[in-house]
This record gives sequence, C-alpha cells and structure tokens, in this order.
Amino acid sequence: MSMFRLATWGWLSVVVIAGFATYEVKYQVAQVDDELGRVNRSIDADRDQLRVLSAEWSYLNQPARLDQLRQRYLTLAPVTRTQLGSLDQIPFRAGEAPAGASTPAAQASARPPIRLPGGPDLVSAKPGAAR
Amino acid sequence: MRPELHGDENPCRPRHYKPAPCGALPKEGPEKELMETSRTRLLLTGVLFALAFGVIGFRLVDLTVLSGGESKLTHAHVKPHTEATRADIVDRNGVLLARTLESQALVAYPKQVDDAAAAARKLVSVLPDLNQQEVQAKLSSGRKYVRLKRQLTPDQQFAVNNLGIPGVKFETTGFRVYPKGALTGAVVGYVDAADNKGLAGVERGLDDELKTSDDPVELSLDTRLQYILIEEMQAQITAFNAKGGSGIIADANTGEIVALASLPDFDPNDMSSANEESLFNRATLGTYEMGSVFKIFTTAMALDDRVATLASSYDATAPIHIGRFTIHDDHAKARWLTVPEIFMYSSNIGSAKMAVDVGADRQKDFLGRLGLLTEPKVEIPEIGRPEWPAAWHLVNTMTIAFGHGISVSQLQMVTAVSAVVNGGVLHRPTFLKHPDDYRPQGVRVLSKQTSEDMRRLMRLVVEQGTGKFAAAPGYLVGGKTGTAEEVGRHGYAHKELLSSFVGVFPINQPRYVMMVSIDQPHANAKSMGEATGGWVAAPAVSRIVQRMAPIVGIPPVDEESPEIRRALLVNFTSPSGRKIAAN
Repeated sequence: MSMFRLATWGWLSVVVIAGFATYEVKYQVAQVDDELGRVNRSIDADRDQLRVLSAEWSYLNQPARLDQLRQRYLTLAPVTRTQLGSLDQIPFRAGEAPAGASTPAAQASARPPIRLPGGPDLVSAKPGAAR
Repeated sequence: MRPELHGDENPCRPRHYKPAPCGALPKEGPEKELMETSRTRLLLTGVLFALAFGVIGFRLVDLTVLSGGESKLTHAHVKPHTEATRADIVDRNGVLLARTLESQALVAYPKQVDDAAAAARKLVSVLPDLNQQEVQAKLSSGRKYVRLKRQLTPDQQFAVNNLGIPGVKFETTGFRVYPKGALTGAVVGYVDAADNKGLAGVERGLDDELKTSDDPVELSLDTRLQYILIEEMQAQITAFNAKGGSGIIADANTGEIVALASLPDFDPNDMSSANEESLFNRATLGTYEMGSVFKIFTTAMALDDRVATLASSYDATAPIHIGRFTIHDDHAKARWLTVPEIFMYSSNIGSAKMAVDVGADRQKDFLGRLGLLTEPKVEIPEIGRPEWPAAWHLVNTMTIAFGHGISVSQLQMVTAVSAVVNGGVLHRPTFLKHPDDYRPQGVRVLSKQTSEDMRRLMRLVVEQGTGKFAAAPGYLVGGKTGTAEEVGRHGYAHKELLSSFVGVFPINQPRYVMMVSIDQPHANAKSMGEATGGWVAAPAVSRIVQRMAPIVGIPPVDEESPEIRRALLVNFTSPSGRKIAAN
C-alpha cells in the first residue's frame, strides 16, 4: 500500500513540475517573440536607413563632383600613359641580379635602356637618386 | 439461441444489488467467448495508445535532440512586396544608378473630415508650400480619398501629426531616385512619379522585371566611361557651338554597350526641366545619314566579296554625273586611287565605283547581314527604324556607298563596325551586363582576313588620312571620319553637318568600338574653318581613349615598335608608280 502511495506522489510531482516548466517555456517564448518583433522592426529601420545612405553615397560620388573636389583639395590628377609601365621595364640595380638569372626580368636588366613611351629614360636614372 | 442471463451475469443489474460470491470463471460456453472479446478489445486500445504516445515521444526526441541543433528560421523576416517596391538598377561595377526609397505621403479621406476650411488652414500653417484653396477644395470634394502631398520629411510628418486632424492620414509610398542623375539618364530612363511605372529607357523596357525582381538589374554601362564620354563630347559641342551630339562606347567582342551619351541630356530626378529635345535619345532613336563612316562597310564588302583587293585601284579623276546628281570628292586628289587611298582620303567617287562593282543586291545583302537594315532588339524601347530606299537603283548603290540615302542609328553603326573589326563576328547589342564567364557566340558575317585588312585600313586613316586628330600617343587608335550633310526642309543643307568619328581601340586587337557624332557644329578659327568629323569628333575620341585606357586596363605601347608597325602595315603601290608603305 505504501508503495502505491509513493508512486502516486512521484507522478503527481512530475505532473506539477512539467506543468510549471511548460508555463515557464511558453512565457519565455512570448518574451522572445516580442524581442524578435522589436529586432525585426529595428532591422527594417536600419535597412531603410542603409538604402537611403547608400543612395546618397552614390549621389555624392558623382564623377563630376569628385573631379571638382579633387581639383580643389588634392594635387592628384588622372593617371596618364607616362605613369604606366610593365615590370620588365624596371631594371635591376647593378650587381643585384636575382638568383634565377634566366627570368625575363633579369634579362631585361641586360638589355639596352628602354624608353617608356613618352616617358623618362629609366635606366639612366639612378635608382634612389630622386629621393 | 441467446443464453439466458441470471444474477451476476446480467450486465444491467442495479448498482446496489450485490451478487453472491461467484465461483471460478466459466471454462466454456458463451461466457468464455464474451470474456475473450473484451480482452481483445482492451489489448487493441492499449496498443493504439502506446503507438500514439510512441510517435509523440519519438517526435519530441527528434525535435529536441536530433535536429534541434539546426533550428530552421521558418519565417525569415522579409519585407513584403508592395506596389512601391522596385528593383535597383546598378552599373557593371555595382554602382547604384536607380533606387526606390520609401517616403510618407499626406493623404486624406474627405468624408471623415469635419471642417474642411479649418483643416486646410491648419495644414497650410505647417506645410507652407501647399495652396490653401486647393487643399480646401480637395477636402470638401466628397471623394473617397485624395492625395495632398508626397514625400513629407520626418519633421513635416511630426508637425502634421500634432495637428490631429481627423481623416488626414499618412501613406507609405515609394519614390525613385537616380543618384547619377543626367549621367546615365539616356539608358536608365525614368518612371512616372505618380505610379512608379517605367516611361523610358531600361525603366520601361524592363518594367516587369524591375517590378518583380528582388535582385538589382545589372547594366553593361560603366559610369566612369560614361562620364569621360559625356565630358569630352560636351567640350566639343561647346567649342564648336553645336546643337547636340551622341556617342556610344561598346565592347567590340560582346556587344555590351559600356557608355552611351545623348546631348543635351536630362536629369531623371528633375523631369520638370526636361524637354522634348533632351528626352530624345539621339544614339538609339535618332537615325541619320552617317556619311563617310559608311565607307567602312563598302570597303569591307568589296574586300570580302573579292571584288577588290588592297592593291586594286579606281579612277577618281573626275566627278560622277548620274541623273541629277553629281558625286565629287571633298578631299579631291583627281587621279587614280588604290583601295587604301580611297579609304584614307575618304573618296566618294572611288567608294561609289567600288560599290557598283559589288552590285546592288550584294550590297543590300551585306548591309542586311550587318544588321543595318533592321531595327536592333535591345532592352530599351527608344529604337529608331532604319530608312533605306525601297527601290535600290544604281544611284542608291552609289550614294549608300558613302553613307547617303540610308539612315541608321548610332547603335546600329557601332554594332556593325564591331563585327567588321573584331574578326568578323556580329554580336547583338545589349545594355545588360553579361555574366563574367559568358562569351556570346555571335554570327560570322565576314572573313577573318577581311577584318584584319579593315583594321589596317582604319589605322591608316588615323596615321595618315582624314582622322589624324584621333591619334592618342601611346595607344593604337584606328577609325574612320564621317561628315554628313543633314537633310533640311529644302533638301541637303550644306551648313548643317553631322560630324562623326568611329574609333576602334586598340586597333591591333580591338576591345572597344566607339562612335562620337556632333550635330550641327560651327567651324571656328581654331579649326581653320573646318567642321568635319576629322576636326570635330576625332579629337574627342583621342582624349576619350587616353582617359579610358588606364581605367579599363589597356597598357600603353610604343607605336613605333617593329612588331606593331609590321602588324598594322598596309603595303600598296599607288597607281602613279609611287611605292607607299604606310601603317
């Protein structure tokens, strides 16, 4: 008879605990759901803000405006062909031939001075002398 | 036979009736059958319940232990598609060209407004740019719904809200902004401010896609090249006091249009200042007699049909008289000219004779293959229909040879010239960016050899011919000049010119084909009284090439290097016996 009583109380407490746990979880879910709604609304607001800001960014980056700003504040100008060249047009310093002496770059150092189209004679200019 | 029920066996016995203590269960007979049935039913019910609980238990374990780790967001937060939603338009580098932003519009339900006059007075007190009479009329109109003002600022919205007028509400609407303004207006187009419906350009051509797509529409345009093209063309238009102009830069190997300009232009953000002239797309909708740039096709046709070779020569000593027309040369040499000379000096007489040798049918067929006789199918609706004679007489063959008597759009020109120089493959023009790994197939329209010859001839024009101003030091430009007299009200007007240059760059391995046309330029002192394509349009092409090359990653070359001179050499003997080696 006492065994029967013990089992009954046991199950009864399980039921109470389960009920309470369910209530607790449901309550938490409701809270999290509220939180989710809040976060989603804030994401929406941020997204809208981002859309506006990136549109404004694109507007402020109009090439004509950048060009004006550059002229006013910078001493930079668009790249011209005299500022462009390829790696093999750059000679190595004398006595500084790299280990793989057969690379195209190394061969280039043995070639006669190369002129960049319209640019300065690179080989005759001493490396580092301009600094 | 139903068994008789007695005492305890009676299921309907009253509760207070206690049967006498019973003996052992009946071993047989109807009583035993009854017991068996009950037991089976009990077992079946038990099994069913066990199964149900088993399933629920299994599902619980499954949800919490097995797949609980990867919680699926079953309702990911996505804003719903509304009428105001419209996809972005970006250029080939992802630069934003058009976007729909949300704003609050002020609306009213007049039937809910008690005192229209007071409401109007209050509204105008916080929104001074509204007209009080108009607002009052709208509020007392008895309509179900009226719109009072679009695009309220947050401050204005707050102020109106504070008035607390019943029946006056806010409504979220979309409005389209174009961050690059006039720079890309000709291609992007614009929408109807009231209902966000596309009215021109890509906005109209791809209206359905823009309405339904979540991803931005990627155009083939490059905003940087767009700026360079427009700026350099505007400089020429100003210098020559011209009426306007149009220009296109296209990828020679894919048909993608990377820049398109139609000047004067309009700002799609400010449609009230646009007029018929600025809304007209000169590059795609306008069809013009293009003039000598058509000699590209005449020469390519003669070479491809083997009617002529680079060594052939034609008699250009005297003008041709045909019917009431006289065909003469602007840069008359008055002697026999070889095919390269005809091309570089832009001889009308020589080109006309070359076309006659090919014949009207083959000329028509060739121009048709290059897409010059049909309107191209592209993503914008502003496409002009080419005009050409229904009856293709001898005189038509002759004038079409140098670009008169046939009107085509600049878009068609660029598409056809791309095919002539890129190795002979025609690509459909497009304003949409191709995926990175996509190489369009195209249709072969002329031989590789003809294409190579044409590249040499077009380099010759820039080196020694009519297009010297297109030369860009360090870069290999080839091309052809064209100066067409526009058809005025009284026939051809000598003063009204359309001066063009078709440029190919780099000419030894074409990547870009561009065409710049300046409409009605006026000669100035600096141009020594000239307003031809070589003087007006060619310098713009030179500057465009020099500015765009570093951007598109085309390295400068030494034009005098032996490899390049050999690759672009044109070797021909002039009919006078002079040996000319030019490149």
